[in-house]
Parts: sequence; C-alpha cells; structure tokens
Amino acid sequence: MVQRELKIRYKNSALGFFWSMLNPLITVLVMSFVFQNFLSNGVPSATAYILAAYLPFTFFQLCLMDSAQTILTALPLIRKIYFPREILPIASVISNFIHLLLALVMFVIYMLAVYIIHPGQWPFQATSVFLPVLLLINFCLSLGLSFYISAFNTFYEDVKYIVGVMTYLMFFLCPILYFEERVANSPLNQAWGGKIYMFMNANPVFALSNAYRKILIAPQKIMVDKVLVDPLPLDWRYVAWAAFVSVAILISGYSTFNRLKWKFVERP
Amino acid sequence: MAESPIVVQDLKKVFNVNASGVNSIKTALLWWKPRKKTCFDVLKGISFDVKPGECVAVIGRNGAGKSTLLSLLARVYKPTSGTATITGRAAPLLELGAGFHPDLTGMENIYFNSIILGLTRKQVKERVDEIVAFSEVADHINAPTRTFSSGMLARLGFSIAVHVDADVLLVDEVLAVGDYEFEKKCYAKIDEFRANGGTILFVSHNMQAVRKVADRCVWLHKGHIKMIGTPDEVIPLYESTPMETDAA
Repeated sequence: MVQRELKIRYKNSALGFFWSMLNPLITVLVMSFVFQNFLSNGVPSATAYILAAYLPFTFFQLCLMDSAQTILTALPLIRKIYFPREILPIASVISNFIHLLLALVMFVIYMLAVYIIHPGQWPFQATSVFLPVLLLINFCLSLGLSFYISAFNTFYEDVKYIVGVMTYLMFFLCPILYFEERVANSPLNQAWGGKIYMFMNANPVFALSNAYRKILIAPQKIMVDKVLVDPLPLDWRYVAWAAFVSVAILISGYSTFNRLKWKFVERP
Repeated sequence: MAESPIVVQDLKKVFNVNASGVNSIKTALLWWKPRKKTCFDVLKGISFDVKPGECVAVIGRNGAGKSTLLSLLARVYKPTSGTATITGRAAPLLELGAGFHPDLTGMENIYFNSIILGLTRKQVKERVDEIVAFSEVADHINAPTRTFSSGMLARLGFSIAVHVDADVLLVDEVLAVGDYEFEKKCYAKIDEFRANGGTILFVSHNMQAVRKVADRCVWLHKGHIKMIGTPDEVIPLYESTPMETDAA
C-alpha cells in the first residue's frame, strides 16, 4: 500500500524521488536567503535552526493534508473489496514519514557541507540520540489526527480546507521562524507571568518543533531587544506532555475511525 | 460433513438515505435542521447457507437486494442485524476491474489486487504468469490500466480472482463480459474451481448461465427469500411471474 502510494506520487514525474528532496531544499534555500540577510536574529546559521523545526512541521502538515483524501480516493476500492480501512491513512502517514526521513538525511548533509565550507563549531550534538523519541511522538500525533481527518472528511468534504487553514496558522504559532526564547522573553509573556509561554508549549506541535531544534543543534544565545539571552534548556516536561497528548489523540482517533469506518461506503 | 462456507442468518440491511445530502460542515451548520431520513429496508431478514463445493445462484428483479447481499458477504457493508459469514478466503468479484488504479500498469495492479485479496508477495510472483496468460492481455500487461479496454480490464479482474486460491467466489453479474471464447474459458475455470472444492455464490439475470452452473437458486424478492430450490424448480416460476406482482 505504501509502495503504491509512493509509486503513484512519482509515476509521472521524471525526477522521481528527487522531488521529495527538492521541495524542502528549495524552501530552505529561500528561507535561509531571507533569514540570513533580512530577518537575522543575530544568530549565525539561522538556516539550520529553521530547518530543524521546519522539516518535521512539513511532515505533520502534509500528513494532515494528505490524509483528508485517502478514503475518498480509495472509495471505488472500498466499495468492492474488504480490507482493513485503517490501512489507508496509515499508508499515507508512513509514506510521508519516509519523506521526512529522507529530508532529515538531507539536513545532515547540509550541516556537514556548511561545516566543511565554514569550519567552526561541530554542528551536531550528543542529544541527537533522542531524535527517534521525538519522531515517534510526532508519528503518533500525525497518525492520530489523520484518523480523525480522513474519517470526517469522508462525510464533510470541507474538512480538508479547514485543516489547511489550521495547519497554516499553526505554523506561525510554533517556534519555527522564531525561537522559543523570544516567546519566553516577550513583554506579553512577562506581563502574564509566564502563562503565555506555558500555554504555547501546551501545544504538542510547539513543544515538538522546539525539541527537534534543541536536540539537533547546539543552542545559542539569542538576541532579544538588542540583549543577548541565554538559551533555555529543553524542558522535557513539555515533551512528555506532547507525548501524552499524541498517544491520547492516536487512541481516540483510531477508535473514532473504527466507529465510522462502516459508514464510509454509505456516505451521502 | 464439513462446515458450510457461507452462512447467512436473519440478515437485515437498512440504508439510511438522507434527503438533504449534507456533505460539508458549512452546509451542516448553516442549514441545520432535523434530519429527514428515508430508510430503505433492502434486506428484511434472510437466512440460507451454502454447502462446500456448491454453486448457488441468486436471482431476482432489480432492487431485490442481490448486490447488497453480495456486498454484505464481501464485508463491504456492515449488516444492520443478523450475520453473514464466510469461512475461508473469499474473492469478491463485485465489479470487474474495480480496485485497479488507472495509473499503475497491469502488472502492478495484479500484485496490488492479489495482496489485498490475501496472497503474499511471493505467492503472487509464482502465479503471475498464469494470471497474465489466462487474461489474454499479453503485451499490454506493462501498460497503465487506464489504457485498457473494458474487456481487458474484465479479463484481468476475473483472472486475478480465480487465481488467488479463494475458498469462496462471490460473483456479481460479470460472466457476461468478454467474447464467446473467453466466456467459455471462464466456465471451464469455474468448473475446475468447483472440482477443487470451491464454493460459488453468484448473481445473474442470465437464466441460461444459472441453469448451466448453479446447483441451487435463491430467489430474492423485495428483500425476502421467495424460494430456494434447484434451478429447474425455481426458474420456470421466476420467469412466469409477471412483472405486475412486483407492486404487491
């Protein structure tokens, strides 16, 4: 099933699998061009920081967007043959996950290339061993939401547009284009006694984006209001919370999907 | 006496067709009103079983619930109440060529479909030549199935279904496809399938075909079983029943 998904996606494109590399690569080049030159946070290698959080976010986003159509496109098949319907969203998430892994390989290559061109601090750090943990949490979260979305979109076809808008807004609510230290040190957060920071971290995608960045690349001092601020250590409590939420979503998503799956064929 | 491979017990199926046909959240929110539901009792509690190696034909007028019955057996629908169970592997042929992805080649579709029907990749590899040969698609097997003619799709679909070693074959009105030669081949294959102990449940309007292959007939009428018996008993009655009685 996954194989079929991948095959179809690249069937008619000459560049084949290269596309899956190309998309994040071009995005990153454009973003780094803007960030390095115009929106610099006073941080060298801003690109790497953006990438570390952006790639997993793309995975999350694509999972949700793709899952919306999985049941509908397979409807002719569902009407004819029995097979476990859960396979459809699962296959879609897995194929996106493979793309994420490829993109992460690209990321490592990019980091090595930068290191060779501008030797400086060794770009990787030991905490990267926690990467699989984050990937697993991310996978559970994406799959759980995919179950919900694929099931609901089968009955209400505008769910996919709503999801599109929500993930787009989610992008700005997550520390991808900015650092979490900026949230923590923002006047708003200080006025609320740190509540805003906690609130935003309660979003599992926020916590995950931040964690990816923190474990993959050595944290740096960040300029906030022309003052250098020490990086915050990664707060594992938020990661644990994200894991809890993700598993809860996965379980409830799966049971919702199972409850609704018999109605797919009978949709209006 | 072995266990019956197909057992249908007090099977009921009700379809809810809601008249508004809401399919977006926006519409649902803006035009919210108590749902007007129309229910169709398609099957109103039928029971029968099929013995191993038996070939049973389901006949009846349009809308009698024949296709619904097959879909329920293929586990495409969930019964409203009652059970429809198949012991062993079932190969549903509800519509030929269904489940083929138009962008994949015939070969890739063979793999994909057979795996969905429960074969392993290795098993498919062993019989892929047989499937291709039987389907007579020949060189086109490596072309995307969207380029296939409907006859080719039908032959390939049938060929896959009979080669997956199913215990039970569910056939919905598909033997009429293909030219005369292929049809003959299909019947030969069905005989072979039955000789190996396979069980067949099929739906047909073609009384000649029913007479030819069926051991028993189930006559469905408006969701009820009107009669079960040998083709020689059922068909004359079925054919002599005038259309008008449908209204009754």
